[in-house]
Amino acid sequence: MRKYRICCLAVAMLASTLSRAQTADELFASLRTKILQVTDYEARVNMKIDVTYMRVPLLKGTLYFKAPDKMKLERNGGVSILPRKNVKLTLSNLIPTGKVTIIDMGAAAYNGKKVRILKVVPDDEKSTIVLTKIWVDEARLLVVHAETTTYSDGSLVMDLDYDKYAAYALPDRIKIFMDLKDYKLPKSVTMDYDNATPTPPDPKQDKPKKGTIEIKYLDYKINQGLPDSRFE
Amino acid sequence: MIKLLYIELYKIFRRPRTYISFGMVAAIALLIQFAMTSGGKDFLAFGMQGISEQFTFEGKILNGYLVAYIILQSLLIHIPLLIALVGGDALAGEANMGTLRLVLTRPISRAQLVLIKFCAGIIYALALIIWLAVVALFMSLLFFGAGDMINMKSDTFILLLKDDIMWRYFLAFGFAAVAMTTIVSLSIFLSAFAENAIGPIMTTMAIVVVLTILSNLELPLFNLVKPYLFTTHMIGWKGFFDDPVPYKAIGRSALVLFSYTVGFLVLTITYFNKKDIKS
Repeated sequence: MRKYRICCLAVAMLASTLSRAQTADELFASLRTKILQVTDYEARVNMKIDVTYMRVPLLKGTLYFKAPDKMKLERNGGVSILPRKNVKLTLSNLIPTGKVTIIDMGAAAYNGKKVRILKVVPDDEKSTIVLTKIWVDEARLLVVHAETTTYSDGSLVMDLDYDKYAAYALPDRIKIFMDLKDYKLPKSVTMDYDNATPTPPDPKQDKPKKGTIEIKYLDYKINQGLPDSRFE
Repeated sequence: MIKLLYIELYKIFRRPRTYISFGMVAAIALLIQFAMTSGGKDFLAFGMQGISEQFTFEGKILNGYLVAYIILQSLLIHIPLLIALVGGDALAGEANMGTLRLVLTRPISRAQLVLIKFCAGIIYALALIIWLAVVALFMSLLFFGAGDMINMKSDTFILLLKDDIMWRYFLAFGFAAVAMTTIVSLSIFLSAFAENAIGPIMTTMAIVVVLTILSNLELPLFNLVKPYLFTTHMIGWKGFFDDPVPYKAIGRSALVLFSYTVGFLVLTITYFNKKDIKS
Protein backbone atom coordinates (compact mmCIF):
# COMPACT_ATOMS: atom_id res chain seq x y z
CA MET A 1 0.00 0.00 0.00
CA ARG A 2 2.85 2.31 0.94
CA LYS A 3 4.68 1.55 -2.32
CA TYR A 4 1.48 2.27 -4.22
CA ARG A 5 1.13 5.67 -2.50
CA ILE A 6 4.76 6.62 -3.25
CA CYS A 7 4.30 5.56 -6.85
CA CYS A 8 1.11 7.63 -7.17
CA LEU A 9 2.83 10.64 -5.61
CA ALA A 10 5.80 10.33 -7.98
CA VAL A 11 3.49 10.04 -11.00
CA ALA A 12 1.48 13.04 -9.78
CA MET A 13 4.64 15.14 -9.33
CA LEU A 14 5.95 14.16 -12.75
CA ALA A 15 2.60 14.95 -14.33
CA SER A 16 2.50 18.29 -12.54
CA THR A 17 6.01 19.17 -13.70
CA LEU A 18 5.26 18.16 -17.27
CA SER A 19 2.01 20.07 -17.30
CA ARG A 20 3.75 23.17 -15.90
CA ALA A 21 6.52 22.93 -18.55
CA GLN A 22 3.92 22.71 -21.25
CA THR A 23 2.08 25.68 -19.80
CA ALA A 24 5.28 27.71 -19.70
CA ASP A 25 5.95 26.88 -23.35
CA GLU A 26 2.39 27.75 -24.25
CA LEU A 27 2.53 30.95 -22.26
CA PHE A 28 5.74 31.94 -24.01
CA ALA A 29 4.30 31.02 -27.41
CA SER A 30 1.19 33.16 -26.75
CA LEU A 31 3.36 35.99 -25.53
CA ARG A 32 5.59 35.78 -28.59
CA THR A 33 2.57 35.73 -30.91
CA LYS A 34 1.16 38.81 -29.21
CA ILE A 35 4.44 40.70 -29.39
CA LEU A 36 5.15 39.71 -32.97
CA GLN A 37 1.78 40.96 -34.20
CA VAL A 38 3.42 44.41 -34.26
CA THR A 39 5.62 44.48 -37.33
CA ASP A 40 6.41 48.17 -37.13
CA TYR A 41 5.47 51.29 -35.26
CA GLU A 42 6.08 55.00 -35.09
CA ALA A 43 5.84 56.55 -31.64
CA ARG A 44 6.24 60.02 -30.20
CA VAL A 45 8.55 59.63 -27.24
CA ASN A 46 10.17 61.52 -24.39
CA MET A 47 13.53 60.04 -23.47
CA LYS A 48 15.31 60.69 -20.20
CA ILE A 49 18.91 59.49 -19.96
CA ASP A 50 20.34 59.16 -16.49
CA VAL A 51 23.94 58.03 -16.86
CA THR A 52 26.69 59.01 -14.41
CA TYR A 53 28.93 60.60 -17.00
CA MET A 54 26.25 62.03 -19.29
CA ARG A 55 24.36 65.28 -18.94
CA VAL A 56 21.59 65.11 -21.47
CA PRO A 57 18.33 67.06 -21.32
CA LEU A 58 14.95 65.41 -21.88
CA LEU A 59 14.95 64.33 -25.52
CA LYS A 60 11.68 64.57 -27.41
CA GLY A 61 11.42 62.79 -30.71
CA THR A 62 9.86 60.08 -32.84
CA LEU A 63 10.93 56.49 -32.42
CA TYR A 64 10.60 54.22 -35.44
CA PHE A 65 10.68 50.45 -35.12
CA LYS A 66 10.49 47.71 -37.71
CA ALA A 67 10.67 44.03 -36.82
CA PRO A 68 12.88 42.28 -36.12
CA ASP A 69 15.53 44.79 -35.07
CA LYS A 70 15.41 48.09 -36.96
CA MET A 71 15.13 51.11 -34.73
CA LYS A 72 15.69 54.84 -35.18
CA LEU A 73 15.07 57.88 -33.06
CA GLU A 74 14.50 61.12 -34.96
CA ARG A 75 14.60 64.46 -33.22
CA ASN A 76 13.62 67.04 -35.82
CA GLY A 77 17.20 67.73 -36.90
CA GLY A 78 18.64 67.25 -33.40
CA VAL A 79 21.09 64.65 -32.16
CA SER A 80 19.51 61.38 -31.03
CA ILE A 81 21.09 58.94 -28.61
CA LEU A 82 20.27 55.25 -28.36
CA PRO A 83 21.96 52.42 -26.48
CA ARG A 84 24.32 50.52 -28.73
CA LYS A 85 24.53 46.92 -29.92
CA ASN A 86 22.18 44.46 -28.31
CA VAL A 87 20.38 46.90 -26.11
CA LYS A 88 17.25 47.52 -28.17
CA LEU A 89 14.36 49.42 -26.74
CA THR A 90 11.90 46.74 -27.70
CA LEU A 91 10.83 43.36 -26.42
CA SER A 92 11.54 41.80 -29.79
CA ASN A 93 15.14 41.13 -28.89
CA LEU A 94 14.07 39.63 -25.59
CA ILE A 95 11.57 37.36 -27.29
CA PRO A 96 13.75 35.71 -29.91
CA THR A 97 12.04 34.37 -33.00
CA GLY A 98 14.38 31.37 -33.18
CA LYS A 99 14.30 28.17 -31.18
CA VAL A 100 14.47 28.71 -27.45
CA THR A 101 14.38 26.69 -24.28
CA ILE A 102 11.89 27.86 -21.67
CA ILE A 103 12.41 27.18 -17.99
CA ASP A 104 9.49 27.83 -15.69
CA MET A 105 10.62 29.57 -12.52
CA GLY A 106 7.16 29.58 -10.98
CA ALA A 107 4.83 32.27 -9.71
CA ALA A 108 5.92 35.38 -7.84
CA ALA A 109 4.72 38.86 -6.99
CA TYR A 110 6.14 41.87 -8.81
CA ASN A 111 5.08 45.40 -7.83
CA GLY A 112 2.05 43.92 -6.07
CA LYS A 113 1.00 41.94 -9.14
CA LYS A 114 0.98 38.19 -9.53
CA VAL A 115 3.44 37.22 -12.24
CA ARG A 116 5.00 34.12 -13.71
CA ILE A 117 8.76 34.06 -14.17
CA LEU A 118 10.17 32.39 -17.25
CA LYS A 119 13.78 31.88 -18.25
CA VAL A 120 14.34 32.02 -22.00
CA VAL A 121 17.57 30.51 -23.31
CA PRO A 122 18.21 30.93 -27.05
CA ASP A 123 19.28 27.64 -28.65
CA ASP A 124 21.22 29.48 -31.33
CA GLU A 125 24.89 29.41 -30.32
CA LYS A 126 25.54 32.56 -32.29
CA SER A 127 23.04 34.53 -30.24
CA THR A 128 24.54 37.43 -28.34
CA ILE A 129 22.08 36.82 -25.53
CA VAL A 130 23.04 34.27 -22.91
CA LEU A 131 19.78 34.26 -21.03
CA THR A 132 16.61 36.31 -20.65
CA LYS A 133 14.44 36.17 -17.59
CA ILE A 134 10.94 37.58 -17.99
CA TRP A 135 8.26 38.40 -15.46
CA VAL A 136 4.91 37.76 -17.17
CA ASP A 137 1.57 39.17 -16.10
CA GLU A 138 -0.42 36.08 -17.10
CA ALA A 139 -3.82 37.71 -16.80
CA ARG A 140 -2.94 40.46 -19.31
CA LEU A 141 -0.33 38.43 -21.19
CA LEU A 142 2.32 41.12 -20.83
CA VAL A 143 5.99 41.19 -19.86
CA VAL A 144 6.31 43.62 -16.96
CA HIS A 145 9.97 43.08 -16.17
CA ALA A 146 12.87 41.53 -18.03
CA GLU A 147 16.50 40.82 -17.27
CA THR A 148 18.85 39.98 -20.12
CA THR A 149 22.42 38.79 -19.86
CA THR A 150 24.54 39.24 -22.97
CA TYR A 151 27.94 37.80 -23.83
CA SER A 152 29.69 41.09 -24.44
CA ASP A 153 27.54 43.98 -23.21
CA GLY A 154 26.84 43.02 -19.63
CA SER A 155 23.34 42.79 -18.29
CA LEU A 156 20.22 44.76 -19.08
CA VAL A 157 17.19 45.14 -16.87
CA MET A 158 13.93 46.51 -18.20
CA ASP A 159 10.74 47.63 -16.43
CA LEU A 160 7.63 48.02 -18.56
CA ASP A 161 4.32 49.78 -17.84
CA TYR A 162 1.30 49.33 -20.07
CA ASP A 163 -1.88 51.26 -20.59
CA LYS A 164 -3.57 52.21 -23.87
CA TYR A 165 -1.58 49.88 -26.12
CA ALA A 166 -1.54 46.80 -23.89
CA ALA A 167 -3.49 44.85 -26.52
CA TYR A 168 -0.40 45.11 -28.77
CA ALA A 169 2.04 44.46 -25.89
CA LEU A 170 3.40 47.95 -26.48
CA PRO A 171 4.40 49.75 -23.30
CA ASP A 172 3.57 53.32 -22.34
CA ARG A 173 6.78 53.53 -20.39
CA ILE A 174 10.03 51.58 -20.39
CA LYS A 175 12.80 51.99 -17.89
CA ILE A 176 16.08 50.36 -18.83
CA PHE A 177 18.83 49.73 -16.31
CA MET A 178 22.14 49.03 -18.01
CA ASP A 179 25.74 48.28 -17.10
CA LEU A 180 28.17 50.94 -18.23
CA LYS A 181 31.84 51.05 -18.97
CA ASP A 182 33.93 53.92 -17.68
CA TYR A 183 34.21 57.11 -19.74
CA LYS A 184 37.47 59.01 -19.58
CA LEU A 185 39.34 61.33 -21.93
CA PRO A 186 42.78 62.82 -21.21
CA LYS A 187 42.51 66.27 -19.62
CA SER A 188 45.42 67.44 -21.75
CA VAL A 189 43.19 66.85 -24.80
CA THR A 190 39.89 68.22 -23.49
CA MET A 191 41.55 71.08 -21.55
CA ASP A 192 38.73 71.10 -19.02
CA TYR A 193 37.79 74.23 -17.18
CA ASP A 194 38.34 73.25 -13.57
CA ASN A 195 35.37 74.72 -11.75
CA ALA A 196 37.06 73.93 -8.45
CA THR A 197 34.19 71.71 -7.34
CA PRO A 198 35.92 68.71 -5.80
CA THR A 199 34.44 65.45 -7.02
CA PRO A 200 33.67 63.20 -4.07
CA PRO A 201 35.40 59.81 -4.29
CA ASP A 202 33.09 57.21 -5.71
CA PRO A 203 32.83 54.29 -3.27
CA LYS A 204 31.50 52.10 -6.10
CA GLN A 205 34.46 52.92 -8.35
CA ASP A 206 35.47 49.29 -8.82
CA LYS A 207 31.93 48.05 -9.32
CA PRO A 208 30.27 48.20 -12.71
CA LYS A 209 28.48 51.52 -13.18
CA LYS A 210 24.75 51.56 -13.80
CA GLY A 211 22.70 53.88 -15.93
CA THR A 212 19.01 54.22 -16.67
CA ILE A 213 17.12 55.26 -19.76
CA GLU A 214 13.44 56.03 -19.35
CA ILE A 215 11.21 56.31 -22.37
CA LYS A 216 7.64 57.53 -22.27
CA TYR A 217 5.63 56.62 -25.35
CA LEU A 218 3.05 59.33 -25.93
CA ASP A 219 1.29 57.66 -28.86
CA TYR A 220 1.83 54.90 -31.39
CA LYS A 221 1.05 54.42 -35.06
CA ILE A 222 1.10 50.64 -35.40
CA ASN A 223 1.70 48.47 -38.48
CA GLN A 224 1.73 51.34 -40.98
CA GLY A 225 4.23 49.53 -43.21
CA LEU A 226 7.34 51.60 -42.56
CA PRO A 227 9.83 51.40 -45.46
CA ASP A 228 13.41 50.28 -44.80
CA SER A 229 14.59 53.63 -46.14
CA ARG A 230 13.23 55.23 -42.95
CA PHE A 231 16.06 53.56 -41.02
CA GLU A 232 18.94 54.60 -43.33
CA MET B 1 41.40 112.02 -23.19
CA ILE B 2 39.00 110.85 -25.92
CA LYS B 3 41.10 112.58 -28.58
CA LEU B 4 44.22 110.89 -27.26
CA LEU B 5 42.38 107.57 -27.33
CA TYR B 6 41.49 108.17 -30.99
CA ILE B 7 45.15 108.93 -31.69
CA GLU B 8 46.22 105.71 -29.95
CA LEU B 9 43.64 103.71 -31.92
CA TYR B 10 44.80 105.38 -35.13
CA LYS B 11 48.38 104.39 -34.30
CA ILE B 12 47.34 100.78 -33.65
CA PHE B 13 45.12 100.35 -36.70
CA ARG B 14 47.41 102.10 -39.19
CA ARG B 15 50.16 99.52 -38.61
CA PRO B 16 49.97 96.62 -41.07
CA ARG B 17 51.08 94.16 -38.37
CA THR B 18 47.86 94.86 -36.45
CA TYR B 19 45.98 93.11 -39.22
CA ILE B 20 48.21 90.04 -39.08
CA SER B 21 46.15 88.99 -36.07
CA PHE B 22 42.83 89.41 -37.89
CA GLY B 23 44.22 87.59 -40.92
CA MET B 24 45.61 84.76 -38.82
CA VAL B 25 42.36 84.28 -36.91
CA ALA B 26 40.39 84.16 -40.16
CA ALA B 27 42.91 81.80 -41.78
CA ILE B 28 42.88 79.32 -38.89
CA ALA B 29 39.08 79.41 -38.62
CA LEU B 30 38.67 78.85 -42.35
CA LEU B 31 41.27 76.06 -42.35
CA ILE B 32 39.51 74.23 -39.52
CA GLN B 33 36.13 74.72 -41.23
CA PHE B 34 37.54 73.39 -44.50
CA ALA B 35 39.16 70.42 -42.73
CA MET B 36 35.88 69.67 -40.95
CA THR B 37 33.91 69.55 -44.21
CA SER B 38 36.10 66.71 -45.46
CA GLY B 39 37.40 64.89 -42.37
CA GLY B 40 35.06 66.10 -39.65
CA LYS B 41 33.26 62.79 -39.26
CA ASP B 42 36.52 60.88 -38.74
CA PHE B 43 37.66 63.50 -36.26
CA LEU B 44 34.41 63.12 -34.34
CA ALA B 45 34.54 59.33 -34.48
CA PHE B 46 38.01 59.44 -32.94
CA GLY B 47 36.92 61.81 -30.18
CA MET B 48 33.76 59.85 -29.42
CA GLN B 49 35.18 56.34 -29.64
CA GLY B 50 34.92 55.77 -25.88
CA ILE B 51 31.27 56.70 -25.63
CA SER B 52 30.34 55.21 -29.00
CA GLU B 53 31.03 51.75 -27.61
CA GLN B 54 27.92 52.12 -25.50
CA PHE B 55 25.67 54.54 -27.36
CA THR B 56 24.88 55.34 -30.95
CA PHE B 57 24.53 58.95 -32.00
CA GLU B 58 22.51 59.99 -34.99
CA GLY B 59 21.63 63.35 -36.46
CA LYS B 60 23.62 66.42 -37.28
CA ILE B 61 26.45 66.11 -34.76
CA LEU B 62 28.91 68.01 -36.93
CA ASN B 63 27.21 71.40 -36.96
CA GLY B 64 28.18 75.06 -36.76
CA TYR B 65 28.06 75.21 -32.96
CA LEU B 66 30.45 72.28 -32.54
CA VAL B 67 32.85 73.52 -35.23
CA ALA B 68 32.87 76.98 -33.60
CA TYR B 69 33.67 75.37 -30.24
CA ILE B 70 36.57 73.43 -31.77
CA ILE B 71 37.90 76.64 -33.36
CA LEU B 72 37.63 78.55 -30.08
CA GLN B 73 39.35 75.68 -28.23
CA SER B 74 42.22 75.93 -30.72
CA LEU B 75 42.37 79.71 -30.96
CA LEU B 76 41.65 81.15 -27.55
CA ILE B 77 45.06 79.96 -26.34
CA HIS B 78 46.73 81.77 -29.21
CA ILE B 79 44.71 84.98 -29.21
CA PRO B 80 46.67 86.24 -26.14
CA LEU B 81 49.84 85.92 -28.19
CA LEU B 82 48.31 88.14 -30.87
CA ILE B 83 47.18 90.68 -28.32
CA ALA B 84 50.71 90.81 -26.95
CA LEU B 85 51.77 92.21 -30.36
CA VAL B 86 49.86 95.39 -29.63
CA GLY B 87 50.12 95.57 -25.83
CA GLY B 88 53.87 94.92 -25.80
CA ASP B 89 54.36 97.72 -28.30
CA ALA B 90 52.29 100.27 -26.37
CA LEU B 91 55.01 102.00 -24.34
CA ALA B 92 58.18 100.24 -25.53
CA GLY B 93 57.34 101.03 -29.17
CA GLU B 94 57.11 104.73 -28.36
CA ALA B 95 60.40 104.53 -26.45
CA ASN B 96 62.05 102.75 -29.36
CA MET B 97 60.90 105.36 -31.86
CA GLY B 98 61.93 108.16 -29.48
CA THR B 99 58.44 109.60 -29.25
CA LEU B 100 57.67 108.79 -25.61
CA ARG B 101 59.21 111.96 -24.21
CA LEU B 102 57.44 113.97 -26.88
CA VAL B 103 54.09 112.39 -26.00
CA LEU B 104 54.65 113.17 -22.33
CA THR B 105 55.25 116.84 -23.06
CA ARG B 106 51.50 117.08 -23.62
CA PRO B 107 49.40 118.20 -20.66
CA ILE B 108 48.52 114.71 -19.52
CA SER B 109 49.87 112.74 -16.61
CA ARG B 110 51.87 109.56 -17.06
CA ALA B 111 49.04 107.61 -15.39
CA GLN B 112 46.61 109.00 -17.97
CA LEU B 113 48.91 107.96 -20.78
CA VAL B 114 49.08 104.40 -19.39
CA LEU B 115 45.29 104.31 -19.03
CA ILE B 116 44.79 105.53 -22.61
CA LYS B 117 47.20 102.89 -23.90
CA PHE B 118 45.33 100.32 -21.81
CA CYS B 119 41.91 101.41 -23.16
CA ALA B 120 43.22 101.32 -26.73
CA GLY B 121 44.59 97.84 -26.10
CA ILE B 122 41.20 96.70 -24.76
CA ILE B 123 39.42 98.09 -27.84
CA TYR B 124 41.86 96.20 -30.06
CA ALA B 125 41.29 92.99 -28.04
CA LEU B 126 37.49 93.47 -28.28
CA ALA B 127 37.74 93.99 -32.03
CA LEU B 128 39.70 90.75 -32.29
CA ILE B 129 37.14 88.86 -30.18
CA ILE B 130 34.26 90.22 -32.30
CA TRP B 131 36.15 89.21 -35.43
CA LEU B 132 36.68 85.76 -33.90
CA ALA B 133 32.93 85.52 -33.22
CA VAL B 134 32.18 86.40 -36.84
CA VAL B 135 34.62 83.97 -38.45
CA ALA B 136 34.37 81.14 -35.91
CA LEU B 137 30.71 81.15 -34.95
CA PHE B 138 28.69 82.86 -37.64
CA MET B 139 30.69 81.47 -40.57
CA SER B 140 30.57 77.96 -39.06
CA LEU B 141 26.80 78.30 -38.71
CA LEU B 142 26.67 79.47 -42.32
CA PHE B 143 28.73 76.50 -43.58
CA PHE B 144 27.47 73.73 -41.29
CA GLY B 145 24.08 74.92 -40.03
CA ALA B 146 22.78 74.84 -36.47
CA GLY B 147 22.11 71.76 -34.35
CA ASP B 148 22.44 70.23 -30.89
CA MET B 149 25.96 70.59 -29.57
CA ILE B 150 27.99 67.89 -27.88
CA ASN B 151 30.68 68.88 -25.42
CA MET B 152 33.14 66.24 -24.30
CA LYS B 153 34.92 66.90 -21.04
CA SER B 154 37.47 64.51 -19.58
CA ASP B 155 34.87 62.71 -17.47
CA THR B 156 31.53 64.06 -18.69
CA PHE B 157 29.59 64.03 -21.92
CA ILE B 158 27.23 66.98 -22.33
CA LEU B 159 24.49 67.46 -24.90
CA LEU B 160 23.12 70.97 -25.35
CA LEU B 161 19.94 71.55 -27.31
CA LYS B 162 20.29 73.92 -30.26
CA ASP B 163 17.86 76.48 -28.82
CA ASP B 164 19.95 76.64 -25.67
CA ILE B 165 23.34 77.47 -27.17
CA MET B 166 23.56 80.97 -28.67
CA TRP B 167 23.35 82.78 -25.32
CA ARG B 168 26.22 80.60 -24.10
CA TYR B 169 28.41 81.81 -26.97
CA PHE B 170 27.60 85.47 -26.24
CA LEU B 171 28.56 85.03 -22.58
CA ALA B 172 31.65 82.99 -23.55
CA PHE B 173 32.85 85.76 -25.87
CA GLY B 174 32.15 88.28 -23.09
CA PHE B 175 34.27 86.23 -20.69
CA ALA B 176 37.01 85.89 -23.31
CA ALA B 177 37.07 89.70 -23.54
CA VAL B 178 37.64 89.89 -19.76
CA ALA B 179 40.48 87.35 -20.07
CA MET B 180 42.08 89.29 -22.92
CA THR B 181 42.00 92.45 -20.81
CA THR B 182 44.39 90.70 -18.42
CA ILE B 183 46.76 90.01 -21.30
CA VAL B 184 46.58 93.64 -22.42
CA SER B 185 47.50 94.83 -18.92
CA LEU B 186 50.31 92.24 -18.61
CA SER B 187 51.85 93.20 -21.93
CA ILE B 188 51.60 96.94 -21.19
CA PHE B 189 53.19 96.30 -17.78
CA LEU B 190 56.14 94.53 -19.44
CA SER B 191 56.23 97.21 -22.10
CA ALA B 192 56.87 99.86 -19.45
CA PHE B 193 60.23 98.24 -18.61
CA ALA B 194 61.58 98.02 -22.15
CA GLU B 195 62.95 100.34 -24.78
CA ASN B 196 62.16 97.94 -27.60
CA ALA B 197 58.80 96.25 -28.37
CA ILE B 198 60.28 92.82 -29.15
CA GLY B 199 61.21 92.18 -25.52
CA PRO B 200 57.78 92.68 -23.91
CA ILE B 201 56.00 90.94 -26.81
CA MET B 202 58.20 87.86 -26.49
CA THR B 203 58.10 87.92 -22.68
CA THR B 204 54.29 88.10 -22.66
CA MET B 205 54.14 85.20 -25.09
CA ALA B 206 56.61 83.20 -22.99
CA ILE B 207 54.67 83.84 -19.77
CA VAL B 208 51.36 82.84 -21.40
CA VAL B 209 52.84 79.68 -22.94
CA VAL B 210 54.62 78.54 -19.76
CA LEU B 211 51.66 79.26 -17.49
CA THR B 212 49.23 77.59 -19.92
CA ILE B 213 51.39 74.46 -19.80
CA LEU B 214 51.44 74.58 -16.00
CA SER B 215 47.65 75.06 -15.96
CA ASN B 216 47.07 71.99 -18.11
CA LEU B 217 49.61 69.54 -16.75
CA GLU B 218 48.06 67.10 -14.29
CA LEU B 219 50.90 66.97 -11.81
CA PRO B 220 50.44 67.31 -8.03
CA LEU B 221 53.11 70.00 -7.74
CA PHE B 222 51.41 72.20 -10.33
CA ASN B 223 47.97 71.56 -8.83
CA LEU B 224 49.04 73.64 -5.84
CA VAL B 225 49.75 76.74 -7.90
CA LYS B 226 47.08 76.33 -10.59
CA PRO B 227 44.31 78.23 -8.79
CA TYR B 228 46.58 81.29 -8.63
CA LEU B 229 47.59 81.35 -12.30
CA PHE B 230 45.58 83.63 -14.54
CA THR B 231 45.91 81.12 -17.40
CA THR B 232 43.90 78.59 -15.35
CA HIS B 233 41.01 81.06 -15.26
CA MET B 234 41.31 82.25 -18.85
CA ILE B 235 39.45 79.16 -20.06
CA GLY B 236 36.49 80.06 -17.85
CA TRP B 237 34.49 80.70 -21.06
CA LYS B 238 34.17 76.92 -21.33
CA GLY B 239 32.08 76.91 -18.19
CA PHE B 240 29.17 78.39 -20.18
CA PHE B 241 29.01 75.13 -22.15
CA ASP B 242 28.65 73.05 -19.02
CA ASP B 243 25.31 71.92 -17.66
CA PRO B 244 24.49 73.33 -15.19
CA VAL B 245 26.63 76.41 -15.80
CA PRO B 246 29.05 76.81 -12.84
CA TYR B 247 28.32 80.51 -12.40
CA LYS B 248 30.07 80.65 -9.03
CA ALA B 249 33.32 79.26 -10.47
CA ILE B 250 33.07 81.50 -13.54
CA GLY B 251 32.50 84.52 -11.29
CA ARG B 252 35.54 83.54 -9.23
CA SER B 253 37.63 83.20 -12.38
CA ALA B 254 36.44 86.59 -13.63
CA LEU B 255 37.38 88.09 -10.26
CA VAL B 256 40.87 86.56 -10.40
CA LEU B 257 41.37 87.90 -13.94
CA PHE B 258 40.06 91.32 -12.94
CA SER B 259 42.43 91.36 -9.93
CA TYR B 260 45.39 90.53 -12.18
CA THR B 261 44.33 93.27 -14.61
CA VAL B 262 44.07 95.89 -11.87
CA GLY B 263 47.30 94.63 -10.29
CA PHE B 264 49.30 94.89 -13.54
CA LEU B 265 47.79 98.30 -14.24
CA VAL B 266 48.65 99.68 -10.80
CA LEU B 267 52.17 98.28 -11.04
CA THR B 268 52.58 99.80 -14.52
CA ILE B 269 51.39 103.23 -13.40
CA THR B 270 53.56 103.09 -10.25
CA TYR B 271 56.67 102.11 -12.17
CA PHE B 272 56.01 104.40 -15.13
CA ASN B 273 55.49 107.39 -12.84
CA LYS B 274 58.99 106.89 -11.42
CA LYS B 275 60.67 105.86 -14.65
CA ASP B 276 63.46 108.00 -15.98
CA ILE B 277 62.40 108.47 -19.57
CA LYS B 278 65.36 109.25 -21.75
CA SER B 279 63.91 108.87 -25.21
